[in-house]
Amino acid sequence: MPVITVSQINRYIGSVLKGDKNLQGIIVKGEISGFVRHYKSGHCYFSLKDRDCAVKAVMFASYASRLKFQPEDGMEIIVSGSISVYERDGAYQLYVNDIIPLGAGKESIALEQLKRKLSAERIFDESHKKKIPFMPKKVGAVTSLNGAAIHDIINVLTRRYPLCELYAVNAAVQGESAPQSICCGITQAESAGCDVIIIGRGGGSSEDLSAFNTEAVARAVYNCKVPVISAVGHEVDFSITDMAADLRAPTPSAAAELAVPDIRRLAEITDNLVSRAGKAVENYISRKISAYTEISSRLSAQSPENRLKLMEERLGGLMNRAETAINRRINDKESDLREAAGRLDSLSPLKVMARGYSLVYSDEKLVRDSDEISEGQRVMIRFNGGGAEAEIKKIW
Amino acid sequence: MENTDFETNIKQRGQIVSMLEKGDIHLEKAVELYREGVKLSAVCRKQLDEAKIKITEVDGYAPSK
Repeated sequence: MPVITVSQINRYIGSVLKGDKNLQGIIVKGEISGFVRHYKSGHCYFSLKDRDCAVKAVMFASYASRLKFQPEDGMEIIVSGSISVYERDGAYQLYVNDIIPLGAGKESIALEQLKRKLSAERIFDESHKKKIPFMPKKVGAVTSLNGAAIHDIINVLTRRYPLCELYAVNAAVQGESAPQSICCGITQAESAGCDVIIIGRGGGSSEDLSAFNTEAVARAVYNCKVPVISAVGHEVDFSITDMAADLRAPTPSAAAELAVPDIRRLAEITDNLVSRAGKAVENYISRKISAYTEISSRLSAQSPENRLKLMEERLGGLMNRAETAINRRINDKESDLREAAGRLDSLSPLKVMARGYSLVYSDEKLVRDSDEISEGQRVMIRFNGGGAEAEIKKIW
Repeated sequence: MENTDFETNIKQRGQIVSMLEKGDIHLEKAVELYREGVKLSAVCRKQLDEAKIKITEVDGYAPSK
């Protein structure tokens, strides 16, 4: 009998297993245990076990990267793959190329599928999102009336916007009847004339989200004619209801805040409107007054009275000018006259006589030459003051 | 006016203010609008001050607990 090496035997077993159709392309059910993802290569190593046995399994990174969930210890799964030998250790293992989770995992797969389906129907589209009315008269709340959510909503609405009416529909938010209960609640709130509807859980993070991940609730939210705010309250992952809702709030309180305006802000708006109205009227009146002033001044400018006044003014001006002209001329003449009189005065014989000259008259005639008189003739002498009669004694 | 809801009142008042601001109306109308606006403001303020939330609770389908 020939001696063979370990490598040969392992390689041989490997080829035997590869040739066995019962071990190739198989589907195996089991629970994950000892799951490790190699941080560098990304390959996943774990054991697949049932109650009694276990088999080593490896999933290479190229396959593992396609998984839509994170495998964890204890997860019930179904894997597809083939059995082969790891020659170095002489160990056979399951080479996995896909993993399908069972149980809780199954639900998450179904949820993914539902999301894809509804998304394809454009149920989550932004274009379908309705605007929340600014001042809703009636706010609907579909939630458990025994839960904390409704109290939070009442508190916020009372503080923020007591003008509204709250229409609270009791609904089961968990358990088998929950989806139908929520759907009916939405319809009920809608037909009661609510302007916006809040749907939410009773609070408490351990509560089951599943009702809000059902197709029925998503469609009810989508089909609701009035805006829906979801307050399912799950910070890690959005529920399908969140995605279908017109607005998503992290908590019921936040949903109530988003649903209504703040009354203090409204009071501000009110006060602001009052001052705006006052200003508007002031402006209006002052505009009217200036328009009135302008038009009446234009009108009075055209009145006969005013025209008469204008003409009077013009006439007055003309008269003034005439008077001034005349006065000037009179003044001119007067000064002429004064000058002439002055000159005349200086030429007056009386002035000459005042300086000591005398006048001699013969028969009332002024004597200018000695030829005009003869010796022995009587003449009259006139002095500046008084006069005398004289007799000519000698002529030369 | 007192019977009209707050939203309608405040909206109407907004319209009045806009009309006043536009200003192409008769004086008598402006005065009348202003009077109405002031009255509406008082009503709005009163409505805000006196607002009290009304709560209706109804049983839905298969309520929990």
